[in-house]
Amino acid sequence: MRNRLKVLRAERDWSQAELATRLAVSRQTINAIETGKYDPSLPLALKAARLFAQPVEALFFLDDEP
Amino acid sequence: MVPIFFHLRRRLTAAKADVSRAVARGEAAVEETHTLFGLRLLVAGLFWISVYLLSRGILALGIVDQTARVLIALLPIPFFIYYLWVWMKGVRSMDELQRRIEFEALALAFPLAIVAYMTMGLLDVAMPRGLDDFGYRHGWLMMPLLYYFGLWRARRRYQ
Repeated sequence: MRNRLKVLRAERDWSQAELATRLAVSRQTINAIETGKYDPSLPLALKAARLFAQPVEALFFLDDEP
Repeated sequence: MVPIFFHLRRRLTAAKADVSRAVARGEAAVEETHTLFGLRLLVAGLFWISVYLLSRGILALGIVDQTARVLIALLPIPFFIYYLWVWMKGVRSMDELQRRIEFEALALAFPLAIVAYMTMGLLDVAMPRGLDDFGYRHGWLMMPLLYYFGLWRARRRYQ
């Protein structure tokens, strides 16, 4: 699964630590999600979508999707 | 119009500063929690090791009474249970990735420990050496070592 977390975070000029605090997770978790090493749980994905005010499918998508 | 603009700008700057302070406090709180958990685990671990070594040392003095020997030998158990309680409490406060790392560490350590114990057990069947056998006395020590190996491996995977 791929995601646009890094792009959206950069648009807001947030650090990984800042985003981690806003989502109440560790910085390591944000780093692992951004690098594609870890797929977040559905509650965390929904929380991120709400934070960026975007639908969840605009943040996370499957590898075979354009 | 101009004063309203300056007023709004001041309010916006103040709000941004508030958000920055809140985020910084949040980051500090997360760091503090991790440090506190690590410190508590370390203290509980050192306490347990100290009691374990003390217990072994007292037993080595050659106390004859069997009941006293059993009680002294089992003395480290409550301290180790406390250590595990601190660890489990820490796991409950972790986020989903950190819990996954803990799970993967245990998922590696548990089957490897079974393989090691099975090997020792089968070797004991082939060459019985009694209760003085290394495996019976010290085999449990490899379980935390395997867990820490699993933890190191899982942390590397998600770095």
